[in-house]
Amino acid sequence: MLTRLIPVSVALALLQVGLRFKDDSDLARRLKTRDAGAMRELYDRYGRLVYSLILRMVRNSAAAEDLVQETFLRVWNRIQGFDAERGALGPWVLTVARNRAIDYMRSADGKMSAGALELDRLEHPGRFCDFEDRALSLDRARRLKDAFEKLTPHQKTVLELAYYEGLSQTEMAERMQQPLGTIKSWVRSALKVLREQLTEAAAV
Amino acid sequence: MTCEQLRDSYELYSLGLLEGEERHEVEAHLARNCAVCQKYFKDALAVNTLFLSQAQEVVPPSRLRRRVTSSVGREGAVWTWVAALAAACALIVALWLSLEKRTADGQLANARLTLQQTVAERDRLEQAFTFLNQPETRQVNFGQGQPAPPRGNIFLNPRIGVLLIASNLPALPAGKAYEMWVIPKGGTPRPAGLFQSGPQRTAMNILSGPVDSNVTVAVTVEPESGSPAPTSNVLFAAGF
Repeated sequence: MLTRLIPVSVALALLQVGLRFKDDSDLARRLKTRDAGAMRELYDRYGRLVYSLILRMVRNSAAAEDLVQETFLRVWNRIQGFDAERGALGPWVLTVARNRAIDYMRSADGKMSAGALELDRLEHPGRFCDFEDRALSLDRARRLKDAFEKLTPHQKTVLELAYYEGLSQTEMAERMQQPLGTIKSWVRSALKVLREQLTEAAAV
Repeated sequence: MTCEQLRDSYELYSLGLLEGEERHEVEAHLARNCAVCQKYFKDALAVNTLFLSQAQEVVPPSRLRRRVTSSVGREGAVWTWVAALAAACALIVALWLSLEKRTADGQLANARLTLQQTVAERDRLEQAFTFLNQPETRQVNFGQGQPAPPRGNIFLNPRIGVLLIASNLPALPAGKAYEMWVIPKGGTPRPAGLFQSGPQRTAMNILSGPVDSNVTVAVTVEPESGSPAPTSNVLFAAGF
């Protein structure tokens, strides 16, 4: 039934985030002991997801491979700041991956110094803990996808620009040649739709 | 702004895209550890994670796994390299020291040999001086007036022995040596020592010990190991 709602590949990707979430504490503990085997396991859990995300953002396979390596190296080097008991590896790894891709795209545009420090601060491993049990469930992933499909083209565009290209609302306004107020309206209304769908999922 | 008014800002904030006053407002709320804002922030992180996980799946090349896992294993590899480098350095130093020691040992052995030769030569010269210095020593020369044959002097001291000093000695065939003989009157030749000539075709040979005063001293060419009796013609001889 799931495969009729979302593609198999997406379902598998979501499984990586949703179903394995609870097992991550043990994996994180092993990573903290510098267990190279744990690193292989981390890649097996999140490698495909990270590669897909980064390739979606940079649209260059060679650069994507470099950035995937950079992502896992960063996780490996910063794992000591991660709370193995309360943390969630998936969100952290994906955030690091997105930030590497954003950094890459900004540096290509000569804007690297503008946001590198901010991205670095926002991906601090200590931030990725105390998620609710169902926050990253497969059901919520499916609902978010359904909700996204219901958005207007403009709403979809602004979210994609935000998530996959790292554009601020001001930059979106320039890119789309729309007033900043309009952009903000599209962004907030789109996020509200997504959030409401997820809230409904939580209430069920 | 109230927590609720900032509700729509947390996704953009956690993506690093919130600007200006809104961003400062969110940071101020989070800094207060407000439970509501903390929840909104976590919810936003979850939304972002779910959104980012929906990029169309692409299977990465298999080499990427090897690349990633080997790169994080670099920490160990570095130490392996360091250990290998240290071992290589230690080996080089050990080999160098060994060569140095062998060289030093060789030099020491050469020095000892030179010293032994020098001491032996000094002893021989002292012996020769003793011969020359003793009043009962008698001297006979040989080869005088002849252009080619060996020539030299033989000194005999009945108490201490015979001293031979020769020059113009012919080159020896391989495996041969000069052998000195002491031949008593009416007796058989008695071996009196093997010797070689030096670079200047000179030689000195000493027979230590009491010797009859009426003997003939002769030299022949013999095998290097010596002969119990002469096997070749007499090269030169002198009688006392």
